[in-house]
Amino acid sequence: MANLPPSAPPYQREEEVGARQRLARSDKEPGFLPIYTNAFDRVFISLVILIGIHLLWLRFMEPALPIEVATVISLAIGIYIVRRG
Amino acid sequence: MRNPRVGWALLSPTLIILLIFGFAPFIYVLVVGFFDWNVFAAEDGLRFNGLDNFRRLVFDDLFLSSVGLTIRFAVFAIVSEIVLGFVLAQMLTRSFPGKSLFRIIHTFPLMVAPIAVGAIWRLLVIPGFGPVPFFLDRWLGLTYQIGTYPDQALMTSVLMDIWHWTPFVTLTMLAGLSSIPREPVEQAKVDGANRLQVFWYVTLPFLRPVLLTTVFIRIMDAIRTVDEVWMLAGGGPGTRFTGIYIWRVTSPAASADWGYGSSVSLITLYLTIVLCWLLFIAISGRRKGEVE
Repeated sequence: MANLPPSAPPYQREEEVGARQRLARSDKEPGFLPIYTNAFDRVFISLVILIGIHLLWLRFMEPALPIEVATVISLAIGIYIVRRG
Repeated sequence: MRNPRVGWALLSPTLIILLIFGFAPFIYVLVVGFFDWNVFAAEDGLRFNGLDNFRRLVFDDLFLSSVGLTIRFAVFAIVSEIVLGFVLAQMLTRSFPGKSLFRIIHTFPLMVAPIAVGAIWRLLVIPGFGPVPFFLDRWLGLTYQIGTYPDQALMTSVLMDIWHWTPFVTLTMLAGLSSIPREPVEQAKVDGANRLQVFWYVTLPFLRPVLLTTVFIRIMDAIRTVDEVWMLAGGGPGTRFTGIYIWRVTSPAASADWGYGSSVSLITLYLTIVLCWLLFIAISGRRKGEVE
């Protein structure tokens, strides 16, 4: 990323700083998710996945395996996302 | 030094209203979604039934088809509105004769209540009475009956939604376009960028926040559309054009069993959040390796 001259307009400098911060953050926390996330984002993603897994489980898997299995699986995925995402 | 207490004091009326009228009912619906609460039941009151409402819901074919239909309706309508709204907003940034008049006429549909929009369109497309089926039959030999063909009902509803909501998209896009600074556009032109490149690399990134907000508002509106579509075709032909909320309002199961109805509302909220979140990722430029 090229350094901007001091005469560059403010919006360009803000973008440059934002991009640098994001790159720095991604270097510091190389999570496996394809987007930049903070802790709240990862908890939110885990919650969305938890609900999705439970609904799909109710529809397709429940005759074979109880819903508690879905809870365990989605909690495990959730913890993994929060820690490594 | 700024005093945070002043900020909280200024925000508190809004927060209290939101808490009472927004958050508290949501928590109530969330709780009721896990209970059996049928108004026609022999026993009064709520009985906890765990995930039974959701279990029943994921096997309800009519509900599942209404979800698919609502998503199709939302995608067709929103994509068309965004494209059309952007083109019209671009047009309105330039000067042309009659621009003020056009802007006023173009904004008229926004002032009409949704139920009236549905009534207007019903009068236009009702077979044997409306001009649209008459002229389509006379000039093109096309049979146009929204009471018989579900695809025609869907397309008419999409057209109606476009007619009603494109002015809103135009206004937000116009605000976004007006706020773009001239310097980067001129710099890009000096550097030899053509119109498409200026649009793609300069205009669109600046429009992202506006685009995102507009799409979010329109998704939420499109998913909970009831009155227009209900007035137009009554959820028909039969039950083949019944969106999520029309189904929620008209289904005896969902309207008599408040627990089941609450679970429908919760699933719809979940769908809305997931759709908005996916779009947020797609539009906001938060993907790794991408510089905004």
